[in-house]
Amino acid sequence: MPLTTNLRYTVRSVVFLLIGLVFITPLLWMVSTSLKFENQVFERPFVFIHWGSVNWSNYAHILTETDFLTWLWNSVFVVLISVVFRLLLSALGGYAFGFLKFRYSDGIFFFFLVTLFIPYQLTLLPQFISFRFIGLLDTHWALIIPNIVDVLSIFLMRQFFLSFPKELVHAAYMEGSGIFRSFVRVALPLARTPMLTLGLLSFFMIWDQYYQPLIFLHSKEMYTIPMGLQSFQTQFGKQYAMQMALACLAIIPVLGVFLALQKQFIESIVSSGLKG
Amino acid sequence: METVANGKPTRTKRAYSLERLERRAGLLFALPALVGFLLFVLIPMVCVFLLSLYKVDLMTNTFEFKHFQYYDKMLHDPDFWKSVKNTLLYMVIYVPLTLALGLGMALILNSKMRARGVVRTFFIIPYITTYVATLVVWNVFLHPTEGPVNTLLMSLGVDKPPQYMVDTHWALPMLALIGAWKDVGYHCIMFLAALQGVSKDYYEAAEIDGAGRFQRFKHITFPLISPTSFFLLLITIIGGLQAFYQMALLTKGGPSFSTTTMTYHIYRSAFEFYNFSYASAVGMFLFLITLVLIAANWLGQKKWVFYQ
Repeated sequence: MPLTTNLRYTVRSVVFLLIGLVFITPLLWMVSTSLKFENQVFERPFVFIHWGSVNWSNYAHILTETDFLTWLWNSVFVVLISVVFRLLLSALGGYAFGFLKFRYSDGIFFFFLVTLFIPYQLTLLPQFISFRFIGLLDTHWALIIPNIVDVLSIFLMRQFFLSFPKELVHAAYMEGSGIFRSFVRVALPLARTPMLTLGLLSFFMIWDQYYQPLIFLHSKEMYTIPMGLQSFQTQFGKQYAMQMALACLAIIPVLGVFLALQKQFIESIVSSGLKG
Repeated sequence: METVANGKPTRTKRAYSLERLERRAGLLFALPALVGFLLFVLIPMVCVFLLSLYKVDLMTNTFEFKHFQYYDKMLHDPDFWKSVKNTLLYMVIYVPLTLALGLGMALILNSKMRARGVVRTFFIIPYITTYVATLVVWNVFLHPTEGPVNTLLMSLGVDKPPQYMVDTHWALPMLALIGAWKDVGYHCIMFLAALQGVSKDYYEAAEIDGAGRFQRFKHITFPLISPTSFFLLLITIIGGLQAFYQMALLTKGGPSFSTTTMTYHIYRSAFEFYNFSYASAVGMFLFLITLVLIAANWLGQKKWVFYQ
């Protein structure tokens, strides 16, 4: 009896593992293809990796002959600045709307939330015209500035500060800290977990952005990774192994961050107000 | 009046002034958010409405008032109605599929199993990976003649495998499928969080009462996770209405307009034909559809969402 239960348990686990593998087949195929020569891409029978003759030259070519490293730097620059300012603004705003409160703060916040339903494709139109007018087109600031104000992020920080213990802050007042000082020394350190989650979610989201660079940028040296990938795809339509190597390189930074922090990331999503 | 001696009034006074101080500081703390909101959400929103009423010449930066002419043009444009139809068709596939897959995957992860961490990582990977990169992969993966999917199908004896992105009937459902594949990791984590919040006691009691697996799901799990389901439903509706990347990278709205959704119609009108006014009108309509769908679900939640 225990043996059959154990067997069923194992079989079930194997089935689930297979489902998981099928789910990421396109990505496994991407890794496999990126390590092949062009003439092996559609070979039959299919070989996952030619262990004896792995082809690293696709990666070498991309890193040395293309603008990949420029795109990578552009992406890192845009994402880091956007995330830092977004976190700062959301923490301040969340503390104001959730903890300090001010006249009409709840009403104003409700109004904020309604605008969550505005399609971003719509707000980008006047942004394009105004950025064109003030000469921000084809600069990274056109990508960064709209990313700083994010209603959903302010909402999440507000959720956190709504239930923040008043006693802690008031104790800091008693010790002579002002409002700003107690925010920095008491509230912010305790908000580390939601801020980490928010930072990661924003990182993944902004790293992914394609629409904004598509309409705001036109010089190739300004491209972020998604734009670079797209231009590469049109330029090297038939070089599939090369395209897969580039796709791999584009994913590695986010995947690395995710794998390193996934435990905290998932746990904090599960425990924080991100459930809505 | 004797209470004055106890120092009570002074305390209230101090509390009162502290509250006032906090309120003042609150406004100051919120200032960056308020200014940003004004500049990047509210003013653009007003502008975009005005934009839909004016003819704009980007070369000379001149504006000419046109009343509701662009809305009129939109309502008489067959391409617009096609894009509405395509958007709704996309939604009909994407929304239920993403929710069902997400719940199914969360149920798998919530059951007794080995290697849960590995499977969970597999399920979440598409959600965190760069969308454009995965689309570059899908583009080759589903290539009608050379892609591995059709090569496999043909070697299995399928004579005419589907042509995916170049077939008017297949393209949109495939894009919806890819959209679901990309986004479902988020739904999976959220559902998993909700499932883990359901107390085991309920199940034990139901098992003693002789409730089967399906009955336990219907009468215990489903109602208890319904607030999360409702939240995810709203997120999925918004995400479905705003889908754009697959169309932009895989089909360019084709073949023969079969994947031109409203978002792609907006993009094409604005940045290929430089008709910002018309694009704004379509955008306003998309916003209206979003509000209607959200409101309908908000009213409908009473029927099935159960708050503890």
